[in-house]
Amino acid sequence: MPFLYQIVKADYLQRTRSYYFLITLALTVFMAYAFIPAQNANYTTLSAAGYKGAYNSAWVGYVSGIMTTVLLSYLGFVLVNSGIKKDIETEVGLIIATTPISNFKYLLCKQLSNYLVLLTIAAITLVVSVCVFFYRGTGYPFILSNFLLPYLFFAVPALFVVATLAVVGEVFLGKRNVLQFVAFFSLCGIYMTMINKDGVQYEGAFDPFGLSLMSKSITHHINTHFGENIKSVSFGFIFNGQKSYQLFEWQGLNWSALFIISRLVWVGASLLLIYISSLFFHRFDFKQSASTKRKKELTLNNIKSTNTSIGLNWATLPILTFNYGIFPLVKTELLLLVRQGNKWLWLLNAGLWIAMCFTPFNITYAYLLPILLFLQVGRWSELATKEKTNRVHYFAYASYKPLQRLLTAQILSGIILAIGLSFPVIVRSVFAGDSYAILHIINGVMFIILLAVALGIMSGGKKMFEIFFLLLTYGALNKLPVTDYLGSLPHPQMSLFVAVVFCLNVVLLSLSLITRSYQARHL
Amino acid sequence: MALTITNLHKQYNTQKIALSNYSLTINKGVLGLLGPNGAGKSTLMKIIATISKPSGGSLLLDGVDIVQNPNSIRKVLGYLPQDFGVYPNLNAYEFLTYIAAMKGLGGKALRKRIEMLLEGVNLTADAKRPIGTYSGGMKQRIGIAQALLNDPKVLIFDEPTVGLDPEERMRFRQLIADLAQDCIVILSSHIVSDIETIADEVAIMQDGKLITHGPQYEIIKQAEGKIFGVLLDYEALNDFKLQHKVIDTARQADKIKVRYIATQTHVANQSTVVAATLEDAYLFLTQNNQ
Repeated sequence: MPFLYQIVKADYLQRTRSYYFLITLALTVFMAYAFIPAQNANYTTLSAAGYKGAYNSAWVGYVSGIMTTVLLSYLGFVLVNSGIKKDIETEVGLIIATTPISNFKYLLCKQLSNYLVLLTIAAITLVVSVCVFFYRGTGYPFILSNFLLPYLFFAVPALFVVATLAVVGEVFLGKRNVLQFVAFFSLCGIYMTMINKDGVQYEGAFDPFGLSLMSKSITHHINTHFGENIKSVSFGFIFNGQKSYQLFEWQGLNWSALFIISRLVWVGASLLLIYISSLFFHRFDFKQSASTKRKKELTLNNIKSTNTSIGLNWATLPILTFNYGIFPLVKTELLLLVRQGNKWLWLLNAGLWIAMCFTPFNITYAYLLPILLFLQVGRWSELATKEKTNRVHYFAYASYKPLQRLLTAQILSGIILAIGLSFPVIVRSVFAGDSYAILHIINGVMFIILLAVALGIMSGGKKMFEIFFLLLTYGALNKLPVTDYLGSLPHPQMSLFVAVVFCLNVVLLSLSLITRSYQARHL
Repeated sequence: MALTITNLHKQYNTQKIALSNYSLTINKGVLGLLGPNGAGKSTLMKIIATISKPSGGSLLLDGVDIVQNPNSIRKVLGYLPQDFGVYPNLNAYEFLTYIAAMKGLGGKALRKRIEMLLEGVNLTADAKRPIGTYSGGMKQRIGIAQALLNDPKVLIFDEPTVGLDPEERMRFRQLIADLAQDCIVILSSHIVSDIETIADEVAIMQDGKLITHGPQYEIIKQAEGKIFGVLLDYEALNDFKLQHKVIDTARQADKIKVRYIATQTHVANQSTVVAATLEDAYLFLTQNNQ
């Protein structure tokens, strides 16, 4: 076991010693603070038909615990689902493959380091929730167990499951990030629907987040004390303006043995899942790509003599002409964008694209377009990071005017593809004479591309953009005004909204240019 | 064409000085860079390739300051980094077309040129296959081809023969010799025999400093009379190693032939002076400098 500890420790340190992780932690502090909104804030995180809990220890601790559990389960998956991929990219995997470590132990190490990363973030939200309790200062006594128990029984087991699913996703879906996201979020969506259904709940035993237990306890409390017949609670960042709520004093959950045992069962099931995955793990032994299958069989006639290798008659090479335009670069960047990821995903894209031509305009604009754009997250996040990932940056930075030509080509190719994907909505807006919608969409797709480029260049990786874009899409689908980058919601001053997004685009472009300009001369 | 390096200095932080007051003039022909790991060879090459900025000093290509005007050298630069990568989803032809676009190359002749370069590096048969499926040697040959795309006048090769088989290495050396007639070729390699075969001049570096620079024969001359050979019993070898700087050993029937560095006052009995090679000179000079 000591060697497992060393492997997990090294993996954990490798992931957390980065500028990107520091930003994640800063974001975590902000989110944890936002979990407990001020009483006069224009949003809620947990409420029930006009009722909201008073900020006693139980409410602050449990709301913080459950929000951390659910949000970190979603975002955490995106955050940690590249542990094995990193070993493939760095080729450390080849070394690991030759060591005596078993597949199960290797995957377990990956799962545990995933888990530690998520627990680190959860620990920070716990500390922040305690600080927020004192900051809000409503005079209720501080009860430590009300803060610790929800984290212990909600977050600790749920994050274990998430850490496991991240490993399982990598084993079965390889480097196909988008498919992993789609599979994971679909799974979560199905579970959330099942949790919200009426029926036998078995003390929340089948609920990996524990949300059903809280929901049931809160609605029961309100119904008993206020004679209501509330069935469910509103959960998540819900912006509904400043409303007056009836406050109630909720004292927390009575933990049942069945629920606690069910957490252990979830942990056990996760371990079993890792074991099953280990039976299918590739152990860094990849087959040649499919295209090689069709390669002609070698015969004596078509085997070329190796005497011709690196034999070049310099004088016979054709004379070159120079063309410093960026069209050829845009062409290849588009090709790279199109080829990125799994080609079968294009079927899904095509389906959504066609659906956008016929679905009611408001649904297309508010839901289908953001979803289609999010499905390309892998493409956008690679726009300005692929040179570094593939170690082609030496060529890129030493090329003629890399900023004015290559970076511009990358941004342009991204915008061209994004506009192509948004084309049905743009055309329908043209026919509807909605010039604001056209402006919003073009501004919005430019924002996404420039955000991907800026965050990629500044963080040096893809993750930050992927998480940010996930949050943005989540907000946009939930009609959160501040995340409405495509302008599908009504805004009081449309021109101002367009101008604000445009200014953001200029800022992102400037940041990208300044940072890349520095990077290109400081390898 | 001349590349003039004057008092070049590169400091990463207070602890790490990669280059210290480095001055050198490089003319047409092949300059071989030799030095132990961490000597500053790659840093020097990165600075010349404009992807790293020096902390001080100047770098002029035919009088033009390339630190201030990096695009002036980029037009005529061919650069093969030590640990470069490729886009695995592109095939060789597409990748070279992409690099050509980065270098600002176009026109009808480009396609023909890429085809000829691919033929030259023996990748025509695999040109339509994704580069992700290539072996290390094939990727290295793609790297060499991209460096030659733009008819470069300054060629920088950082460990270019890594992954090449002996025949390819030989062909590569011939190619470099051809190219050097018309351009500046800067080449670093840990394989001294590669440098020995093709370099007109050699620069030996250590700890970010230039120890010596000049034609090969002048470098070798510095080690003449300091390299000795002796036949020893196998049992005596370990003690001998403790007292002398052994360069090489070769097993013979019941003895072992040892080649070592020594000054006249510390020569072992029955030793004979042997002709120095570039490798001997390199080892002698870097040892002496420590």
